[in-house]
Amino acid sequence: MLIRNPSYTAAAMLSVRGLSKSYDKDIHALRGIDIDVKEGEFLVILGPSGAGKSTLMRCLNRLVEPTEGQIFYNDQEITGRRRNLRALRRQFGMVFQQFNLVKRLSVLTNVLTGRLAYRSTWRSLFYNFSKEDKRIAIECLARVNMDHKAFQRADTLSGGEQQRVAIARALAQQPSIILADEPVASLDPKIARQVLTYLKQVSRELGITVLCNLHQVEYTREFAERIIGMSRGKVVFEGTVAELNDEVLHRIYYRDPDEQDEQNA
Amino acid sequence: MSALTFERAVESALQREAQVRWRRHLKLAACGAIATAALWYSAVQIKLSPAALVGGIPFMWDFITRLFPPDLAYLTLLGGATVETIQIAIWGTLLAIILSIPLSFLGARNTTPHVIVFHLTRLLLNALRAINELVFALIFVSAVGLGPFAGVLAVALHATGMLAKFCAEEIEGIDTGQVEAQMATGASRMQVILFGVVPQIIPQFIGYSIYRLDVSIRSATVLGLVGAGGLGFSLIQTMKLFKYHQTATCILLIFLLVLVSDWICAKLRRKVI
Amino acid sequence: MSIEIQTRTQSVFDELAARQTWKVRHIVTITLAMAFLVWCADGVNLRPREITRAIPVIADYFARMMPPKWGFVEAIWKPAVETLYVALWGNVLATIVGLPLGLLAAGTVTRSRLLRGGAMGILNVLRSISELIWAILFVAAVGLGPFPGALALGMNYGGILGRLYAEAIENVDKGPIEAMEATGASRMQVILFAIFPQALPQFVTYNLYWFEVGVRSATVLGMVGAGGIGFELITSIRLFEWREVGLILLFILGMVTIIDFASTYIRGRIYRQ
Repeated sequence: MLIRNPSYTAAAMLSVRGLSKSYDKDIHALRGIDIDVKEGEFLVILGPSGAGKSTLMRCLNRLVEPTEGQIFYNDQEITGRRRNLRALRRQFGMVFQQFNLVKRLSVLTNVLTGRLAYRSTWRSLFYNFSKEDKRIAIECLARVNMDHKAFQRADTLSGGEQQRVAIARALAQQPSIILADEPVASLDPKIARQVLTYLKQVSRELGITVLCNLHQVEYTREFAERIIGMSRGKVVFEGTVAELNDEVLHRIYYRDPDEQDEQNA
Repeated sequence: MSALTFERAVESALQREAQVRWRRHLKLAACGAIATAALWYSAVQIKLSPAALVGGIPFMWDFITRLFPPDLAYLTLLGGATVETIQIAIWGTLLAIILSIPLSFLGARNTTPHVIVFHLTRLLLNALRAINELVFALIFVSAVGLGPFAGVLAVALHATGMLAKFCAEEIEGIDTGQVEAQMATGASRMQVILFGVVPQIIPQFIGYSIYRLDVSIRSATVLGLVGAGGLGFSLIQTMKLFKYHQTATCILLIFLLVLVSDWICAKLRRKVI
Repeated sequence: MSIEIQTRTQSVFDELAARQTWKVRHIVTITLAMAFLVWCADGVNLRPREITRAIPVIADYFARMMPPKWGFVEAIWKPAVETLYVALWGNVLATIVGLPLGLLAAGTVTRSRLLRGGAMGILNVLRSISELIWAILFVAAVGLGPFPGALALGMNYGGILGRLYAEAIENVDKGPIEAMEATGASRMQVILFAIFPQALPQFVTYNLYWFEVGVRSATVLGMVGAGGIGFELITSIRLFEWREVGLILLFILGMVTIIDFASTYIRGRIYRQ
């Protein structure tokens, strides 16, 4: 059963109610998720692999369609609407575990692709971007300290560098939220901390909300402002770092949330 | 486990292994028998005969001696035909590239707008690939007349089939993560294709196009046999006039042209990939 | 935004502007390339007006092929099957020719530079002379029929396969070779046990692919009298019997498609083993 702190019901920028996602009637990736995301916070979703964190994120920017439930963004319901998807998606900047940069293009062009939602298709036909786009992209690169490699091919960079470029790409969208899906799972600890520091620092400077999926408890303790714990498609914890004690961790990682509910009922 | 049961276990494992091996050998023998039977039957059907080949050597020799020595003076007259051959190959490949760009996207499962379009495109491409350039050339010569124009169209259609099918398969094999990332930024479908799909396949596309150019030069040399321009035309003309020394010159020139184009294309491809 | 970020942004922006200006050499290259293409197009009578006039004519010709003259099947099914036999034996002969030459031409097998160069040279000559020209030669030697066709394919594809075999052998993983040599095995044993098993799947892939190509080639060899469906095809075209042509083309398409499926299936089975 979810332990809810009453003070968090105020002023949520992004809200999810009863969100569920099933595949083929058998696989229930998400089961009735309720979450509120406050503006400007660094919210970490903590849970083991398979908990449904990625699915949840992809439901938010509609890469995956939820089977049930509602999503509210700035008090407007956005579920079900496929129109104006471009305008919606550019509000959500996404950072992937595999970086997903276009390997053959330059670092700068990769970041510029973050501006595509603002440009008409015909203009992009010639791989052309406006001066303003180029300025924004370069500035985003400078903010993550990757501007010195702007003209190199993306696949010549190391893992940590590529992820910083990916963050710059998300920033170039001028989003209100960044969705980071296990951004450091494939990086070693020193680089991972560096990337997470950049992520937190830059979003602080620009006032961007961050929703970050992590499965590592140490990083969560170091970077989160607020934590939501997920296990097997359900939310099992919501609170601050201080409240993340061993009992909570046990609930997230070891117990079956269905058993939990039965016990509490 | 006692010694006796261990022995038994080993024995039964050996037996099973022997059975599997026996079955495999049986399958191989069966395949071998079928293959031999097929080869024997078809050898009979086509009247394969080493004796006939050996017996034909004097005729071949006679033919070859008639070709030698090649009339080198004739080389100067073949300049135009050689240039024409190269021009046919270049424009045939160029038209194929232009046509392949939309067709390869339509023919790839992940970028096609509709399943029916996908199957129709694949059918069209298979048809274009199955039919030899020479056949197209014959038909086009009837339709638009003798000359290199028919040759260009023939080369173009066949090359389109090959190039588009190759690219469609490349498109189907791309890294979907990069595509997903582009979609997540809010890019339109066309933008996703331009930035997420195209950069992944460009080197292979260019490499294969250069290969097709090489193959097209080879084909263009024989298109003339049916009147579609190029060196092949000179070849058949000289044969009809029994000027075999000049025929030899044609063959020599064709051989050199193909060799040079192979070499150049191989170098270009290495630069791209 | 801090001053530092501003200055860095500006300097990268300026560098980008500098990189993206049209340099003189780019403009010159592009203009030259365009001019070259225009000259080529003119050489082959390729003009936009010609193309737009040609398309309806060609469409009309293809329309005349529908519906195919089904009754004609009786006349062509035998030559069609003959085409397959020609392709089959062409493949076998190509392997017989290409394998020894390919082994000789491979750097990892043959020590002598002279032998390698010689083998490569022969392979290059074989593959540069079009199978049609070989077919003409062999028809002169052994007479009309499918046998010279198979020989022609054997020669041409022997050269092609030989080159591919040599490449495959040279690209084999060196590890097992070193291991075998370390055990003191003789050169022949190393070739048989370390090189051959690794290269074999690649050989089979090449053979299957070129068999397919061979079927398409064999369809036109009949035009010079070397067997297969080519003779019927050229006859029907010369007689303007378009519905017969339509049937033959459909037949060819069917054959090639079946073989395509079969070879994909076989390739799958081989790789699983």
